[in-house]
Amino acid sequence: MFELKKFRKKSPWILHFNAGGCNGCDIEILACLAPKYDIERFGMINTGNPKQSDILLITGPVTKRTRERLVEVYNQMPEPKVVVCCGSCASTGGIFRGMYNIEGGVDQFIPVDVYVAGCACRPEQIIDGVVVALGILEEKTKEIEKTIKLANKPVVEEDGQVNRRNMPAELTYETTV
Amino acid sequence: MRSLQLLVLSLFALPPVAGLLLLILPKVLGRIVTILSVVALSAISVYLFASFDKPFQILIPEYSDKVVMIADVLLLVYFAFIAIKRKSVLVGLLTIGQAIALGYLIKLLGHHEGGIHAQFYIDRLSLFMFLLINIVSGIIATYSLQYIDEEDCSPYRKKFFMFTMLWFIGVMNLVVSADNLEYFFLFFELTTLASYIFISFRKDNESVNNALRALWMNQIGGIAILGAMIYSLSTIGYGTLSFQTLVKAAPTVGLLFPLALLAVAALIKGAQMPFSSWLLGAMVAPTPVSALLHSSTMVKIAPFIILRLAPAIKGTSLSLVIIALTGFVFLAAAISALAQDNFKRILAFSTVSLLGLMILMAAIGTDTAIVTCLILILFHGISKCMLFLNAGVLEKKFHLKSALDMDRLAESGPFTAFVVCIGFISLMLPPFGAFVGKWFSIEILGSTLRQTRGLTAIVMLAIACGGAVLSLLYFKVMGLLISRSGEKDKVTFETTHPLYNVNLILLLALILAGVVSLPFLLTGYFGPVASDVLGSAVAVDVQSNYSISIGTMNLPVIPMILAFLILPVSLFISLFIRFRKVDRVKEYTCGEKIDYKFNSFYFDTEFLLPYFKAVGLVFFALIIILTVI
Amino acid sequence: MQSIIILSVLALLAPLVGGLVYGIERKVKARMQNRIGPNILQPFYDFFKLADKRLVMVHSTHAFLGVMHFISIWVAVAVLIFGGDLILVIFLHLLSTALLIMGGFSTRSIFSHLGANRTAISILAYEPVLIIMAVSIYAVNGSFQISSIINSDPLLYKMPLTFIALLLILPIKLKKSPFDVAEAHQEIAGGAEIEYSGIFFEAIYTAKWLDYIFVYALVFLFGGSNYLLGAGLVVGTFIYINALDNSTARVDYRQMLKFSYFVALPVAFINLLITLFN
Ligand code: SF4
Repeated sequence: MFELKKFRKKSPWILHFNAGGCNGCDIEILACLAPKYDIERFGMINTGNPKQSDILLITGPVTKRTRERLVEVYNQMPEPKVVVCCGSCASTGGIFRGMYNIEGGVDQFIPVDVYVAGCACRPEQIIDGVVVALGILEEKTKEIEKTIKLANKPVVEEDGQVNRRNMPAELTYETTV
Repeated sequence: MRSLQLLVLSLFALPPVAGLLLLILPKVLGRIVTILSVVALSAISVYLFASFDKPFQILIPEYSDKVVMIADVLLLVYFAFIAIKRKSVLVGLLTIGQAIALGYLIKLLGHHEGGIHAQFYIDRLSLFMFLLINIVSGIIATYSLQYIDEEDCSPYRKKFFMFTMLWFIGVMNLVVSADNLEYFFLFFELTTLASYIFISFRKDNESVNNALRALWMNQIGGIAILGAMIYSLSTIGYGTLSFQTLVKAAPTVGLLFPLALLAVAALIKGAQMPFSSWLLGAMVAPTPVSALLHSSTMVKIAPFIILRLAPAIKGTSLSLVIIALTGFVFLAAAISALAQDNFKRILAFSTVSLLGLMILMAAIGTDTAIVTCLILILFHGISKCMLFLNAGVLEKKFHLKSALDMDRLAESGPFTAFVVCIGFISLMLPPFGAFVGKWFSIEILGSTLRQTRGLTAIVMLAIACGGAVLSLLYFKVMGLLISRSGEKDKVTFETTHPLYNVNLILLLALILAGVVSLPFLLTGYFGPVASDVLGSAVAVDVQSNYSISIGTMNLPVIPMILAFLILPVSLFISLFIRFRKVDRVKEYTCGEKIDYKFNSFYFDTEFLLPYFKAVGLVFFALIIILTVI
Repeated sequence: MQSIIILSVLALLAPLVGGLVYGIERKVKARMQNRIGPNILQPFYDFFKLADKRLVMVHSTHAFLGVMHFISIWVAVAVLIFGGDLILVIFLHLLSTALLIMGGFSTRSIFSHLGANRTAISILAYEPVLIIMAVSIYAVNGSFQISSIINSDPLLYKMPLTFIALLLILPIKLKKSPFDVAEAHQEIAGGAEIEYSGIFFEAIYTAKWLDYIFVYALVFLFGGSNYLLGAGLVVGTFIYINALDNSTARVDYRQMLKFSYFVALPVAFINLLITLFN
């Protein structure tokens, strides 16, 4: 049978999101695209647009400013999708962990599939991580993936349309004096 | 034949009579009378076209000549009165000029016994104009019943407005059937008077100023017609006041001066630069007036006169200058329009521009060019009418005047937004009639390249650029009003007054019917009319490979059908369609959640306008100078 | 009858060929940058992957207009292949671009609006040159019908300047650097096509392949009845476009307009005048 699924692996389009890192990892990601590593030979394109991407590459720790935007961008990606955390900041908060403006690692907000270690992570590692992610991508279904925090429920409207517009919610803090 | 003559006479008489009835009857009865008379007018003009076989003249009693003369004098007296009341020196001077010319003409006429043959000459071109005038203006009249009711003025003035509108329709019917130039002059001046009354309707300072401008500009046209009459009467070889005889005699006499004067009158009526400002100033009047002036009546006198002159001026230096002028105006008006934000002003500039194209086609005067001109006159009339009536709805219901405020109109008024889009698209894209006109005119210019060489090549360039500029202009407006957020996917239609809705839907239906029946229209409608204009048969044939040939042109039917399925139909579906089992997500704004205000681009081309006008003036001077030499 | 079948097959296969052209282009571009580059069939892989995504859209009108953009550009290409009227073909193509622009405007997305605005402006830049090109072809050949142009003497020798003008505006048409303001991936993330995803983006993606066919078919016309010359021109243009795309940086839309009106258009026009006065 003609399996559409197997083409997921052959054309993974990536979206690169910097949640608040120091740009070290970003440069490594860009290095992947440059002639030396040339990930386009695997069919990858850096789209810069969540609506047409399959892989979300996140660098940097989640800050209070970026958390809603991160969830929003994640929400706009059509399933199946995978999330790859590049660098230790994105995975755990890294050297920024515990700072007043840092929420922590990406996995506090959205489900992460692959963690790539390193500060900064090397291009080879990123490629490796993406390859692992591709394996996961092929297994995934097309169900809506719920975010962990900051998310309202998607609203199912009549005749089967799902309204995902207002899913990212505001996170309110109780101010303690 | 007799019955046809009577029907034509009823076309002249019915509108003013209905107008008078409207003045004395109460509101509801007045509405019924208006609608009935409008329907009757449309029916009569359709019947006339259907049962027409050969051109005929209308015989009217001798004393009507005197009536016309007296009416002329009365009109001039009224103009003088306006000049004194409004303290306008220009109008005063021009009125004096007209009076002197008229007096001289009366003196001349005394010597020419029996110089007048026929007062009215009806051929297919007149009938073509009847159809356009009566149906489209009828729609405007029914629309303005409601529009003027919402206007802030006394009931008497409302009635007076409708009265003016109705008699103006009657005068338009007279203009397109008059053969005697003296009669023609009277009707021409009456339309000028109507534009004065219409534009000054709101009585504020701006209105009065613009109305005076319209008055004096068109009075120049009147003087040009008077000059043409005097010249033609006192020239050996012409010695006639009959339009038809004049045009037929011109090639043998070889003197183009009277024709050039008539062409000048036409170009002024057609608001070609530098005389474009009277039409642009007409924007201050209530919107139905703009619809009336821009679409089916008033400005269409311009291509009408040139069409009448076409057999005589074809291939002469006069037609070359007109081609150059109108080609220039097409581009210049389009460029100036880019600086505008007001919806009605954008429409007005595009009218000036497209009128240029129509007159250009008429001035080329080959069989295909005539057909193209007719196509443009008809479909531009319908599309522009629809757009202007929509401008009225936008003003009254949504309180929008500037194109920049129309952001999100598709949410509050999807139907209005849709109709505006179709209106604009029908002026530029296949398969609509006005597009066919544009397409043919490019090909016709291409095919005349060999004869005129450099000149048409430059005009060609102007048309190519002007067309692109116009499409950019239309996108400027459409871009804002079709945008809507994805918060709701279901479209709920707005409710507008039925008199608005019915008329808009009628116009929409006319446009779509025009697209569907274009092949039939070409063979049965445009072809015969063009034959009458040229005086020789225009070959419109159905080819075996599903195409229609008009002279050297070819209209393939299958691509047009495909384009019809794509454009109007799919646009309409896109309004209603609701995909099932699809998720709706937010627009991509890098994750931000702000609601943006959208704006459109702006080109600062306003400063070019005076230069454009100066160039236009040079062309006008050329028309006169070339024909005198 | 037979020729109609061949032409229909050609018209139906047009997207396929276009996809192949796009695949080759990506490869060639990568080789020019000293990269290995993707598989030549990569566009088709993308195509199947996009078909497999969960359906996501902004609203139905927008999504539907995207699909209509694809269909209308296919119609334009089909009319071109069947040898219709050149001017009509140009305007049918304008129609499809208009639908893309309308789609871009129909959402409330900044990038989409910017892209649509810029696409409208790039129409302003290339449209006159295309029309002057068509008219020059008529002046040389005496017909607007593509079927008769393709059977005439090679046009290239009589109108080399027009061909140069066409080469100058092709980057605008194909949204290639230095005139890719309408798409500008790093700047406005793809312009008018940004809000499409999944199967709706697939329509836009495939429409891009058809755009290649449209453009290279126009180039092919210059070979006239000498198909070899036509093919040579297509290959030459292909290499030129990619080399240009790789070696230049983006200019802004004003520079683009100025270039088109003060360089490309006069070049085309001079050729028209030369043919007229010969
Ligand atoms: S992991 Fe290291 S290099 Fe990467 S963003 Fe964090 S601090 Fe910078």
